[in-house]
Parts: sequence; C-alpha cells; structure tokens
Amino acid sequence: MTTLPLERPRARARAERRERVLLAPITVTPSKPLTPSHLKGLLWTDVMYRATRELADVTFRSSQTTYHPTEQTLGFWEFLDRTHGDREYAECSEEEIGELYVAFRAEGTRAPAEALRPYADAVEHGWVHPASRRVLGLWSGHYAGLGLHDPGLLAHQPPGLGLDETIAWLSALGLCVDLREVGGPVHLDTTRFGLPLRQIVTADGRPNYLACALRELMPLTADFDEVVLLYDRELGPDHQQLAHVLALLGPRVRRVPIGRVPIDGRVRSARHGGWQDNHAGALLASARAGYAEPVVRLGMRLYFIATLGPGQAQSFDPALVRQCLKRAERLLAAAADTDPSDDLAERLARHRKDHVYVDPYRLTSSLLGRRGPVPGHDLLSAVFL
Amino acid sequence: MSREESAAQERLREAAAARIRAARPELADAHDLTSAEGLIAVRARIAEEAAAPEHLAAVVVGRFDLASWARATCEFALGLGPEQAAAWRRSFTRTVFLAGNPDNLRERFSFAHFADDGSAAWTGPGPAADSAGLRRLLKLFDGPRPLPVRADTVVEVPPRAGRRPDRPPVHRELHIAASGCRVSDALVHLNHLLAEAVLDGLIRPGDTLTIRHVPRLTGLTDHFAALRVDTDPTLPGRLRAAAGLTEEALLVPHHRP
Repeated sequence: MTTLPLERPRARARAERRERVLLAPITVTPSKPLTPSHLKGLLWTDVMYRATRELADVTFRSSQTTYHPTEQTLGFWEFLDRTHGDREYAECSEEEIGELYVAFRAEGTRAPAEALRPYADAVEHGWVHPASRRVLGLWSGHYAGLGLHDPGLLAHQPPGLGLDETIAWLSALGLCVDLREVGGPVHLDTTRFGLPLRQIVTADGRPNYLACALRELMPLTADFDEVVLLYDRELGPDHQQLAHVLALLGPRVRRVPIGRVPIDGRVRSARHGGWQDNHAGALLASARAGYAEPVVRLGMRLYFIATLGPGQAQSFDPALVRQCLKRAERLLAAAADTDPSDDLAERLARHRKDHVYVDPYRLTSSLLGRRGPVPGHDLLSAVFL
Repeated sequence: MSREESAAQERLREAAAARIRAARPELADAHDLTSAEGLIAVRARIAEEAAAPEHLAAVVVGRFDLASWARATCEFALGLGPEQAAAWRRSFTRTVFLAGNPDNLRERFSFAHFADDGSAAWTGPGPAADSAGLRRLLKLFDGPRPLPVRADTVVEVPPRAGRRPDRPPVHRELHIAASGCRVSDALVHLNHLLAEAVLDGLIRPGDTLTIRHVPRLTGLTDHFAALRVDTDPTLPGRLRAAAGLTEEALLVPHHRP
C-alpha cells in the first residue's frame, strides 16, 4: 500500500499551467540621480518580479530605448550638445549630470522639432547620448548593490512597433484620431470608455511617453495572460487609457500605481533637483558603511515597500531607514531553514487576490508580523536579497 | 483702388451686410452696414457675444474628407426644424469643430446627423451647455496644413426619400479660396456658407455641387449667389471672398430624372 502525498491542489493547478505575466514598469529618464521615489518604484517592481517568478512565467520588460524618443530625453541631449559641446561625461557623477538636467528644465525653451530629429533617428539605431550612458552605467552599479534584477539598462531594446505602425494599429482598432494628414496631432481615443481624448503625437511629430509605451506594449501583450502596469500615481489617467487599449488585445491588465516619496512633506519633480544626500548612491553608501550587503538589500525593501506602503503620505525619513536596516539584521539572523515540503510557491501565492502577480506590499509586510512563523531563508534569498 | 476693385469691395460689403441682416436684423438696423467701419463695429459686437454663445452646433471630425463632409453638412442643415434653424441662424450658425471618432461616441451622445462614411457627426444646434460634455471629452480639431488644391469634385446632396422636391434640382459650384487657407479655416468658411445657403433655400435635396479649389476668388464675385466674406489677410482694411456658391450653373452634368 502506498501513501498518497498531502494534497496541495492550488499549488499543483498553478504548476500544471503556469500563467504568463508581463511586468511593465514605467522607466526613469536617465538624466539624474535615482531619488527615493524612483527607488521605491524599482524595489517594488523587483519584489513583484522575483516573487511572481516562483509562480508564473514572468517577463520583466523595462526598456530605456523605448522611452528615449520622449521630448524630455531628446531635448536634454540637444541642450547638452548645444550648450556644453564636447564635454566629457565618462567621469561625471549623477549629481553633476542631474544639475545639467535642472539647468535644461530651467531654460524653459523648447527646441524645434528639426533640432531633435537627428537625436530621435539615432535612438532608433541604438545610439544613446554619453551623458545618459554614463548615468545608466552608474545606475547599473546601484542595481547590483541593491540586488535588483537588471532588465537591460545598457542594452539596445527597441520597441516592437515603429510610431507609424503603432498609429496604424490604433486606427485599425478605432482607438485613435490621426490628424497628421491635415498637419494636426495624433490623439489616443478611448472615448468609448468615457475617457477624454489624449494627444500622443504633437502636430510637429513628437511622440510623448504614452506613444512610446504603446509602441512597446501593443505588440507584446498578446503573448501574455496578465499584464501589470506599474507607474507613478499621478500618471493614473494615462495608464487607465493604456490599460483599456492593451485589454482589447487580449490579456487581463492590472494597474499598480505607486505613490511617490515626499521630501519634507513635498512631492517634488526631479526636474527641480533637491536629491542631495538621499539619492540612491548616497543612501547605499551610508547603509553599507554600517551593514553587510544582505542587510542593506532587505532593509531597503522593508523601508521602501513595507514601511512606506503604496500611498505617499509619509515623507522620506533616514531614521526609519536605519530602523529598517536593524530590523533586517535581526530577521536575517533569525531566518529559519524551511521544511522542503513547505512549498515556497504556495507561501507566495497567499499574497495575491484575483491576480497572478504577488503583491509586494502584502508580501514584504508579512515579514514584519510579530506573530506567525519566522521567514525562511528560501523566501529571503529568492525575493529579498 | 481701381473701379473694379471698388466694385468688388462693395459687393463683398453687401454680402457681409446681408448675412448680418438675415441673422440679426436688430444689429443691422443699429449700424451702418454700407461702410467698412459699420461692419467692423458689428463684428466687434458679435465677437463680444461669442464669449457666451447662444446656440452652437458641434461637429466631430474623425477624418477629413472635404466632399463627404460638405455633403453631410448640407444634409445636417436640411434636417433642422424651423425653430432650431432660426435659433442657430441668430448665432450666425456658430459651430465648434472637434477631433474625435463618431463611432466611439454613438452610445454616449446623441447626434443629429452622421456623415455616410462615418467620418463626421453633428450635434443639433443648441445652448452651449448641451454639448459641454462632448467638448470636454474631445479636443478642438486642429488642421494647420494648407488646404490641398484638388481637382473639381462633384457632390450630390441626397434627394429626400418619398417626397417630391419643391423645385427642380440645380447645379452650383462651390468655390474655396485655397491661398493662405488652412484646413481648419476651410471647414469654418464652408460650414457657414453651406449651412446658411441651406437655410436660405439655395441648396435643396437633390442638388449637385461642384467643389472647386482656386487660389483666390478674384473677379468672380458677380456670379455668386452666396459669399463667405472675410477680412483680407494681406491688404489691410479690405475684404475678400473666402468661399462662394455660384448662381445655378448653366450645364447640369448629371441631371436626376
């Protein structure tokens, strides 16, 4: 007589048919240091990616190439070349390049479309301005330090559709008003869902980030069961429209807005600067001075995910970061070796609702629970370290 | 100014005055419409009122097709009831052009008319509040490119099914001055010209229009039954014809039996 193993119907059902999930976070423009708001989004997405990977086939798509054609990036590059000529960027710090970005935004003038065209064309062929290449190189170092999955910061990852093709796809779906023939702009049209017309290409042919997102995501989504859009809360209306468009192509689309991190009570755009002492490089350096790498990685996740939560009510607080690092040190010291029959996928699967992705906030907060079992090494190393 | 030029300016002033008289007789009575100054004063009065328009129609344009749009404009105006038409006329057939896909809006908004090919849709003229929701959802139609000069295009205003026409169908030419005219301007000029020609009975169901693009309507103003008059952009203080609808053309190319 044989003994049947304990039934785990849920985990098994998942294992038989792994769902395909696309994580598509909004990218950060490579023109400045990573601020606490950026870090929060990156850590949030990383935990979601690594946890969901245990349960489903996950593709993490975050292409810098896709978003270079936006005006804020091309305009910055044109500004650098126009005002600083042959400056050498390979030795610049993120802060120095960030200061130049602040100067660019302060200039307030919009370069004519013709001035940006060579930059836009070069991007399509894999070119990146040395200043942004430098920033992306420095970010790669921060990603490595924080244990973040690198989705290809320095890789040329062009979107699957050109701008004209994207507009043709949208037109075929009745989702755009294309006035290019009469010299006008292109609007995304989700009015059938009661949402207002949204311009995606200006009359002189400049695409905005929503047009770039459509170029990338429209050809990708059909291959997935679930698409998760992660974005700054204030970009909610655009992502609502994007979600409607992608859902028409087949998958379930989930929107995960992430609140920004106020500094001294104010949510400020990076275009104004003000990242001194609290950008990723500085934070990492000060945490590493007192703690080992695994502690830093877990501590940052405890702070930016579990402590700050999805909203944006709490200002950045270095004292709380230190507390989280101490807490991480204790958690790692107490971490248990788990029974191999206590399936990690099943433990992760508890932290979701009707979606396939694992909710990073619920999962990370569960580490801080006073009751319940101590987190296992397997969970920590798979998701948090 | 030569004698011919003076005569043409006089003719344009008359056309402008006739338009004001038809829409707002009380404004016509209060100003001397035979002088350029009088016309300018009335224009200023009307411009002040434009801030709080009484009645307006909204046209949703998804794709610009001049012939289809011109035909549908006539059909729309022909479909208006007498009271609606009178109220709209008093507001100088004020119309807002919006960019949008009519198909996507059918369920949420009620339209008075759709172009046959679905490229445009019209809301009945009414108080601005009636179309506020639609105007909030959409954006103004932006067509800054110069109006392309095309070969003549024949447009037939569909006859009214099951009803005998009240006069034999006629054929007219619709001239549009393309020089310095953006697509957006052409929509405005032709919309007023066609709508008011319908309200005046110059265009009836079953009529045929030949759209002709010309650089400027120079020296032709005598032959027009209706003119759309605008200030001349290059000659200060002068008027010019932005568009015109001719008297009946002598030859009706395809006469409907």
